[in-house]
Order: sequence, then structure tokens, then C-alpha cells
Amino acid sequence: MIKFNGVNKWFGKLHVLRDIDLHVTSGEVVVVCGPSGSGKSTLIRCINRLEKFQKGELFVDGTPLHDYSTNLTKLRAEIGFVFQQFHLYPHMTVLQNVALAPINVRKMKRADAEALAHEKLARVGLADKADAHPTQLSGGQQQRVAIARGLAMSPKIMLFDEPTSALDPEMIGEVLDVMVKLASEGMTMCVVTHEMGFARQVAHRVIFMDEGSLVETGNPHDFFANPQTDRAAQFISKILTH
Amino acid sequence: MMLFYFQRLVEIFPFFLKGLWMTAAVSGISLIAATIFGLLLGIARASESKLLVGLIGAYVAVIRGTPFVVQIFIIFFILPEWGIQLDAFPAAILALTILGTAFICEIVAGGIKAVPKGQWEAASSSGLNIYQQLRYVIVPQSLQTILPPLVGQYVLLIKDSSVVSVIGVMDLTRVGWVTVNRIPEGLMVFSLVGILYFAISYPLIRLSNRLEKKMATQEVML
Amino acid sequence: MIEGFNFRIIWEYMPFFMEGLRNTFLISIVSLFLALLAGITACAGRLSPWKPVRGLAIIYIESIRSTPLLVQIYFLYFGLPTLGLRVPELQTGIIALMLNSGAYIAEIVRAGMTSVPNGQIEAGISSGLNYFQRMRFIILPQALGVTVPPLLGQAIVLVKDSALLSLISVMELTRIGQTLTSERFMPTEAFFTVAFFYLCIYFVLKSLADWSQKKLIFREAY
Repeated sequence: MIKFNGVNKWFGKLHVLRDIDLHVTSGEVVVVCGPSGSGKSTLIRCINRLEKFQKGELFVDGTPLHDYSTNLTKLRAEIGFVFQQFHLYPHMTVLQNVALAPINVRKMKRADAEALAHEKLARVGLADKADAHPTQLSGGQQQRVAIARGLAMSPKIMLFDEPTSALDPEMIGEVLDVMVKLASEGMTMCVVTHEMGFARQVAHRVIFMDEGSLVETGNPHDFFANPQTDRAAQFISKILTH
Repeated sequence: MMLFYFQRLVEIFPFFLKGLWMTAAVSGISLIAATIFGLLLGIARASESKLLVGLIGAYVAVIRGTPFVVQIFIIFFILPEWGIQLDAFPAAILALTILGTAFICEIVAGGIKAVPKGQWEAASSSGLNIYQQLRYVIVPQSLQTILPPLVGQYVLLIKDSSVVSVIGVMDLTRVGWVTVNRIPEGLMVFSLVGILYFAISYPLIRLSNRLEKKMATQEVML
Repeated sequence: MIEGFNFRIIWEYMPFFMEGLRNTFLISIVSLFLALLAGITACAGRLSPWKPVRGLAIIYIESIRSTPLLVQIYFLYFGLPTLGLRVPELQTGIIALMLNSGAYIAEIVRAGMTSVPNGQIEAGISSGLNYFQRMRFIILPQALGVTVPPLLGQAIVLVKDSALLSLISVMELTRIGQTLTSERFMPTEAFFTVAFFYLCIYFVLKSLADWSQKKLIFREAY
């Protein structure tokens, strides 16, 4: 489904992605972790081309992203992206936020799109908030709306960039619950996160990144119990002592 | 023909420099006076006293609500009726100072209000009186917010000073106005005037932009 | 002073004051509308990907902002005839106001467009919305709210700027004051009345601006 072949990205002189080779299959849940600045956000932002890269190949659902003539609108319709800061549109209601893309990109009729939006909102547990404005919701609720907004396009892949890092601790759970449910339903997911509990529960694979390179990868159980590399071991000990 | 006029313009250039000097003098003096008065009034405007806030507010509203050219006419033509006879130059400085003080007072008040309340509380808890609180704690921190718009206001004052030409002050604009009657090449004459104004405003505009960037990246150290 | 205030004269000249007020009003509205067009065009130029277009826009905006309006008015008033164009004072004045406010409006519009958080634009991109859809649904609705209060502020400035047209003999409100002064030697009555009318316009516009500031700005919730 997602295939990175020797992807490299430079930001000026800074080498932010080094020779990334990664293959994510359909239905797989991959957690990407690592210290800040390791390139993990950049990595998943390449998947829907919020970031471009200079060298290497990236295929998403067969579409070559390294080819700049590719029409991305169709591809992006198949990928949902959830941001750390949610980025809901404050001038629209929750329902309008979720229905915007279905109406304008999938060209659905308004009534159909709104029905779809209601369904997705119910799926994340916020059916009653359809007519509220984002500013009236808590952080956790806003992030769940953001997930519904991504799901409304019935994507093949869902990408999450540190979805719970901007939330107060007591709201993290409600968002992770939605993500766990999503994973159990077979969605292909790439999640950048520090929430190791989530990784252990649903991830098929954990990927550890440091300074732009993919340092280690393995299934969650092995990764946490027996990290192969020193850097990974260091990182794990730092997070788990909290 | 145009070449002839151009030559004459070059001959008269020193006249333009004198006008530029006059503009600088009028602006400069008013600027300094307005900063001093604006600082004092701004501090008063940020105070708790409803009377002060109201009075100063009325003053600011009148100045901001009327065209500067009307204000100049009032000072130049009406004050004599009340017994105060002013020459053009002092009248111009008075008018510009009154104008500048109103705007600077608002900028200063905004800067002082932007300082977190905790600073006032910390300062008064250590026993400092109001004057000391302002001088050592509040005003230094408010400078961060005040400096960029203040410099911007200076540029505005320099531009507004062109209006004093209407009461006969021989500033850069009036030099242009007088010259164009003898050298009827409006484009050339006022392009020159414009370039000279640009020469004094642009450095200040750049300074204001740089200050704004510097202030934006600086974290407030508490 | 108050005993001497000749209300009868003001009543006698009231038709003229009304005409001047009406002209100021019309000039301001027409110039503001034209300036909006000029400003949006200049802003589009400023944000365009082609260097020469961007350069031209920047030259226009920076020249206007670094030179006084009065100089720009004189530039057109004395300069256009030398190009062989005989433009009546009223139109010359409106063009000057349009060009002047247009530059400031260009910057206001630009600030409004760039004020929409990048993250929302990325969210729009990620859902597959194209450039026009993002403009229409995400950027413009929010940019509009941010732009309206400063635009109203510029409208206030424009009304005051229109007073300078009196210096090129346009029959607006300030000129009526000048006429009354020169015909009847009553600057106090003339200019206080003129100032009063400007203050009325100011308070109406200011209330609108303050209301719009409260109601139209959307904040992203974190």
C-alpha cells in the first residue's frame, strides 16, 4: 500500500530523511516513534505530499509520489490526515467541517454528505455536537471531529501526526479509544505518537527513527522488551520511566 | 524645454535641501515633544482613574476624529482671536505636537496595559511606590510592545508635517509648491520632493519593520 | 469666547456646510470604492508568483507609503497638465485618494490573507481540496473577517484625507470653512463647525469599526 524506496530529503543543508526504505501493507497499523527532530512527522507528511523529497521513490496505493505530474487530488481523497493541532475550521459548524470535502471533492449531494457526516460523528461518539462550533468543544472532542473529518472521505489510509500531544491528559483516552476501534476494523494506519500503550495494544509494527534514519523496526512486543539498537534502548528507557 | 527646466531644477536644488532641513526640524522638534507628552499622558491613560481616562480619551478622540489640516487652521487662525498670536513655525510645531501626543499616548497606554498584571503585583509587594513601579518594572517592559508602532508613528508625523506648508512654513512641500510656479514641470518638481521625503522616511520604515520582527521573536522574559 | 460665538452666521451658511458635507461624503465613498479595487489588484500583484508583477506592486505600495498624501496630490495636480491631461480638480483629488488608500488597503488585504493559520490550509490540502476550493471555503471567509475592521479604519483615514482636497480648490467640507473664514473673517465659527461635522462622521465609523472587530474575527480553538 505504501512503499518508500531510498527516500531522502534535505531541508537546506539539513538531511532530514536518510535512505528511508519502508513498506506498509493494507490493513497494517504502524507506529512511528523517536526523539523530536528525528524526521517522523516529515516522513508521514510525505505520504500525502505535504512534504516533498529530493531523492528516492514513494508509491502510495500504486501512485508514484515522486513524479510531480501526478494528480494529487484523487490520491489525497483516499488519505485522511489528523494533525496535532486539529486545525478544524472555526467559521463552520462541526457538521460543515466534516461534510466540506465530501461535497466538494467527492461531489456528493449536500443531503447525502450531511447524512454521511452524521454517521461518522456518531462513530467517534459526537453525534450530538453536529451543530456546535469548534470553539465550543474541548480539545479531545475537537480531535475526534478531526478524525471524523478524515473518515468522511472513506479513505484507504489514515495518517496521524502526534494526535494526542496537544491534549490535556484526561482527554487522551477518548481519542485513543477511537483510534483503537479504527485499527480493529482493519484501517491502514500510520501513527506518529509517544503513546506506547496504544502501540502495544494495536500496532502490528513499531518503527523507531532517529536523526532522519529508520533505526529499528519490529513488532511492539519485541521492540519494547528487546530493543536491538542502543539508541532505541535509550529512547525507550526515557519514555517508560515517566 | 524639459532639459532647460531640469537644469534650473538642479540650480535650485539647495533650496530643496533647505526645505528638507525645515521639514526635519519641524518634525524632529514635534516628535521629541510628542514623545515626552505622549509618554506622560499614556501612563495616565493606563491608570485606574476614570476621570483621567475619560478626559484623555476625549482629547484623543477629537484629534483622531478631525483632519490635521483643520487642526492647523484652528491653531493658526483661531488662537489669535483669543489673544495668542503665533508665527507659522511655532504654530506648526504646536499643532504637530498636539497631533503626535494623541497617537503616542494611545501607543504607550497599549504597551503598559500589555504588561502582565503579575508584574504590578510583584513590584508593589516589594514595597515600591507607584512611581518606582513604573520606572523600574513596568515601563521598561512595555517598551518591547511600544517601540515598533512608535517608530511607525514617527514616519506618520514626518508625512503629516507636509500639511504645515499651508500656513506658510517653508518646508519641503512648500518649496515644491513655490517652485512649480516658476518651473512649471509638476512631475519633475514633485518627484524630487517625493524622493527627498522617501529618503528620510524609508530608513525609519525599515527600522520599524526590523524592530517588529525582533520583538516578535523575542520571548517575554518573566 | 462663547458669548461671541455667532450661531446666526452658521445658520446662514448652513446650506453651504451641507453641500460641503455632502461632497465630502460622496468623495469619500467613491474614492474608497475605487481604492478597494486598486488595493485588491495591488495585493494580487504583491502575492503573485511572477517577479516583475510583484516588483511593480511593491514599488507602488512603498512609494505611496513613504511620501505624504499632500505631495501625491500636488504631484497629480501640477503634473498631469504637463502630460497634456486636463483633469478637473475633483477627479484629480479622487485619483490621488484612490492611489493613496489603495496602497494601504493592499497591505491590509495581504495581512488578512496570511492570517489564516497554515495548518488549516494543510488540512484542506489533505482532504483533497484544490486551490480555489481552499480559497473559497477556508481562506477568504476568515480573511474577510480579519480585514473588515482595519478597512473601516482606513475609511476613517480617507475621510480625514479628503480634507486636503480643499487645498486644490475642491468644494468639500474644509473648503467651506476656508470660504467662510475669508468672506466673513470668522474662523472660530467656521472651523469649529467643520470640526464638529468631521467628528460626527468619525463617531459613526468608529462605532462600526469597533463592532466589526468584536463580531467578525474567528479564533482558532486550541
